Amino acid sequence: MFTWRKLGHVFDPARIDRPDWMREFAQAPATLVFDTFVRVFFSCRPAADANGQYVSRAAYVDLKRDDLFEIVGLSAEPVMPLGGLGSFDEFGTYPTTVIRHGDEVRAYYGGWTRCSSVPFDVAIGYAVSHDQGVTFEKYGRGPVLGGSLHEPFVISGPKIRKFGTAYSLWYIAGTKWIPSKGRAEPVYRIRMATSPDGLTWTRYGQELIPVRLEADECQASPDVIFANGKYHMFFCYRYSLGYRGREKGYRIGYASSPDLVSWSRDDGKAGIDVSTEGWDSEMISYPHVFELDGKTYMFYLGNGVGRHGFGLAELDGVLA
Amino acid sequence: MKWNKRGLLFQPQQYALPNGCADFAQSPQALVFEDFVRIYFSTRSRDAGGQYVSHIAFADVDKTVSRVLRTSTATVIPQGGLGAFDEHGIFPINVVRHDNLIHAFTCGWSRRISVPVETAIGMAVSHDDGLTFERVGPGPVMGPTPNEPFLVGDPFVLVRDGVWHMWYIFGINWVESPSDPGPARVYKIAYARSKDGVSWQRDAQAIVADALGPDECQALPTVIEVDGRWHMYFCYRQATDFRSNKARGYRLGYAYSSDLHCWTRDDARAGIDVSAEGWDADMLCYPHVFWSDGRAYLLYNGNAFGRDGFGVAVLEH
Repeated sequence: MFTWRKLGHVFDPARIDRPDWMREFAQAPATLVFDTFVRVFFSCRPAADANGQYVSRAAYVDLKRDDLFEIVGLSAEPVMPLGGLGSFDEFGTYPTTVIRHGDEVRAYYGGWTRCSSVPFDVAIGYAVSHDQGVTFEKYGRGPVLGGSLHEPFVISGPKIRKFGTAYSLWYIAGTKWIPSKGRAEPVYRIRMATSPDGLTWTRYGQELIPVRLEADECQASPDVIFANGKYHMFFCYRYSLGYRGREKGYRIGYASSPDLVSWSRDDGKAGIDVSTEGWDSEMISYPHVFELDGKTYMFYLGNGVGRHGFGLAELDGVLA
Repeated sequence: MKWNKRGLLFQPQQYALPNGCADFAQSPQALVFEDFVRIYFSTRSRDAGGQYVSHIAFADVDKTVSRVLRTSTATVIPQGGLGAFDEHGIFPINVVRHDNLIHAFTCGWSRRISVPVETAIGMAVSHDDGLTFERVGPGPVMGPTPNEPFLVGDPFVLVRDGVWHMWYIFGINWVESPSDPGPARVYKIAYARSKDGVSWQRDAQAIVADALGPDECQALPTVIEVDGRWHMYFCYRQATDFRSNKARGYRLGYAYSSDLHCWTRDDARAGIDVSAEGWDADMLCYPHVFWSDGRAYLLYNGNAFGRDGFGVAVLEH
């Protein structure tokens, strides 16, 4: 079992002087490392509208490289605009994942639209930054990865990586909607696609991680890192219904793979769980694992799936 | 080209259709059998909230396309599931016989909040001579892409020398208009090709020149070979105020090609127009061209987008 030492609650928009569009939430942290700071992209929300509906915006916070609890910068504006009328990303960009390509920073993001019989649909868009992630220009007005024959809807939660010469994109795909108490709740599972250029994607076409909790287990945030001869995936999972509290809410799971597509799930090895009290006592989710200056860290969300931002844990030892 | 109109062929109100459908028989599309022609169309029921849902039904007619023999008595393809791209209807359906199988390409509709609808193209197969169809999968074979951002629909497929050719439409804009009840859409005809009917190559190009300017809406392409040349019919209209303003509503457009790729638009040679009065005096839309026993036929809808059924015209020799 890994041993993650929790270092504390790093960032909560409510605790800082911030713009209206960053009123609350800091979800799905994703890092881009610079010489003196680490840029952490996240998704935040202005106040809900009159119908109680939210719009997610993409932002970043810069943390001092040698003290990740010190904020040294904050995005002044959302890093990308919302889509236009009728577009797949008209009502939100969440989450955002980034990768460097020469002087560019390339982003993949979940674009949200609002539907009638179900609350939303999601598809994955692509955008490019020429200013180190301060602003991104979208590639076209539609998604690079949306619903397809056997992955019908809710194509979301992208995580971009490059191992060798090929790009890998881990994401989630919806399998069904469950009607529950006047609202429909989606079930989604971890999948992947590969691409030689980051634009044309070939889907692997199978779910990667077997379910453990129940047949309708929901899985998200497939965060993959290579270390010590194998691939490690930290992700989060929860029950499909009744998940807004401690009992059935998100926990962090773990799987490893020799080849990126065949994964052995072993949640007992994940080594991080909810705290007995405090900001991460009800649920932990959306892990992002990264190496920095000889150490391995995990950013993750706590109660309310990031309503109060994200925290940091440090690995004792190595990923093996 | 000169089409001789034969008048209204099928009026849905005169038949007992499945799923409680009474009005509308839109976008008729033919599948030719040895001794009859099956004509699929989209008809409508209303859901619990009073909103329309499109269902596929068919009418079998004789080989001279003169007389209705029977209509479908059961559901041809069930509704899509909760949250699916085709949950709120299929309109239209295009049916293709290939390798002893009957394939269907569908345009699935699902309702949105800021705009009324989104569409994508699905695929289904029949194992009972087209009486019923099963989806190949719950999702679309062709949905939006970076440069075809929404409203991918209206497939028409032709398999020729092992290549699957598809003409279809994609949306380029949603526009707000004071004359219309909600946002209005603009869409154009495009082309895709495939080796298997599932995986499609496309390039986000409008392939038919605009006659009414950049906001012209082009829909429902259909292609037929006559005398060694390819002929495309489609319908086109203004983007707004098209429902009751006859001057801005659908008409049939025409283009020709020698290679299936480059199309020359020439509506003046379409050979068919609105009538002076009657069921197709206000608009012409949703054309479908096909051969039956050596004659070329054109099925189409008239006024009110096919509320009262479809008619037929025969190509003059």
